[in-house]
Amino acid sequence: MSALSARRLWLPILLALACAAAILVLSRFLGEYGVHVLNTSLYYVILAASWNVLAGFTGRFSLAHQAFAAIGAYTSGLLATRYDLPLWVTIPAAVLAAILLGFLLGRLVLRMRAVYLAIATWAFAETIHILLTAAYAITRGELGLSVPPVFSDMDPRSYLYLFTGLAVVSVLGLHAFVRSPLGYFMRAIRDDELRAQSLGVDTVAIKTLVFTVTSGVAGLAGAFYGHYVVVLSPQIADFSEMAKIIVMVVVGGFGSFVGPLIGAPPVQILSSYLAKYGEWDMVIFAVVVIGFMRFNPGGLVDLVRAGWRRVRPTRS
Amino acid sequence: MTSPVLAATGLVKRFGGFTANDGVDIAVGAGEVRGIIGPNGAGKTTLVNMITGVERPNAGEILLGGAPIGGLAPDAIAARGLVRSFQVARVFGDMSLVENLLVPYLARRGRLAEGEARARDLIGRANLARLADAPAKTLSGGQRVLLQVAAGFMCPQLSVYVLDEPFAGVNPVIKDTILDLIATERRERNVTFVVVSHEMDIMRRLCDRITVMVEGRVLLEGTLEEVASDPRVVAAYLGKPLR
Repeated sequence: MSALSARRLWLPILLALACAAAILVLSRFLGEYGVHVLNTSLYYVILAASWNVLAGFTGRFSLAHQAFAAIGAYTSGLLATRYDLPLWVTIPAAVLAAILLGFLLGRLVLRMRAVYLAIATWAFAETIHILLTAAYAITRGELGLSVPPVFSDMDPRSYLYLFTGLAVVSVLGLHAFVRSPLGYFMRAIRDDELRAQSLGVDTVAIKTLVFTVTSGVAGLAGAFYGHYVVVLSPQIADFSEMAKIIVMVVVGGFGSFVGPLIGAPPVQILSSYLAKYGEWDMVIFAVVVIGFMRFNPGGLVDLVRAGWRRVRPTRS
Repeated sequence: MTSPVLAATGLVKRFGGFTANDGVDIAVGAGEVRGIIGPNGAGKTTLVNMITGVERPNAGEILLGGAPIGGLAPDAIAARGLVRSFQVARVFGDMSLVENLLVPYLARRGRLAEGEARARDLIGRANLARLADAPAKTLSGGQRVLLQVAAGFMCPQLSVYVLDEPFAGVNPVIKDTILDLIATERRERNVTFVVVSHEMDIMRRLCDRITVMVEGRVLLEGTLEEVASDPRVVAAYLGKPLR
């Protein structure tokens, strides 16, 4: 039996369900604020995991991921408040909007070289941020847009089930995505795009697909997040959000599938409890990121693997 | 020669004021092994780049199996059966050898299990079995060349394989391994080869015919013995007789 195709299919599902169970058990010991931090952590797990597929696996360092979360949140929020549509209509519509804009932006920027792609996506994200702030009549700008919640009692514990389910589905979906033949093409494009192309890989199509799918996932997370925090502000599209996603992925392990999953929660937990000191958390994260980049570029995943190799009983 | 599988006529490529290819004609028959030689700067790699879609010709036509491919993207050309290797070995460094070889196979919607079996067989024939699951970045220079050549053979649609300097800077054992791979694929799948090289010993063993390029043009074409004795070829190689 060949080694690659025999890779177990049920293992990631089992692992994801075990993590979900652990989160739900852990929440029993937490107060309301603790559960809220868990909810936001799960939101960032989805954003970090999907950005990592684009940046870590495919090598397209987009700086617009938070903008797609914002597009998801505002599309669903505006449809729900202005047209009184139910959330089961507005959330899928929000995902579609993120997919569509992701496709269009992807077509525009994916032929660019790395630095230009980063600059162009950053400019797009800033445009979205400014639009949300300036289009006051529609978005209410910095005052915030009140949107309906998913659960009328607004209990964070109800949302915990929602975000856990959402994270499990998104992460398993992304995992299937990178384990499919497409995953081989993504990594080939990251390592040497011209070589991939010369071996018959339609690199433009693959890059566009990855950009579109990951934008859609960000839009999905953003839409649900909006109906959780219930007041939308342009802050969701701010560059500091993108910076946070990058920090999570670098701390966890850039380009490793598990990396962002274990990188996002500690960063978000730390960030939540440092919130009372204002923007200082970003200073701390900057130091942490530089430390990881310099001394352990593989992130937490690498540390865990190295530790495991030490304690693992040697097999004969 | 029956109708050629690969034919280029009047190819021109200019970079600014410099004309790298100035009206190149070349026709390669099905199943042939064609060598391309010429001094450095003769335009060999530019010709390869135009044929494989990396550079767009300023003028001229390229036909693969009678259909025009000039100006198509490299992946579209590869999908039609024309595949290449690069002068500086390009491999997917963070992927294992098996994964490297799976990329061209999966790109044609091949099945993973069959692809892996073929990849391991090919890696075995390339004497790299011990490294099959190691990342390609751990390979030596010569082994990378070998892996790069092997990747082309994983294309199920392969009909013409263009090898740009596959023997430069590799040891004799690896040269022989590459020659074995070429011979096998030629015999079993009737692949046509276009080989750019300076290694006259190998070209003599390998090629049916040789095209000599000088200063962006085709100087002449013939068997190695014919071209080697031509005074213009000798002159182009700065007076050194070809051996």
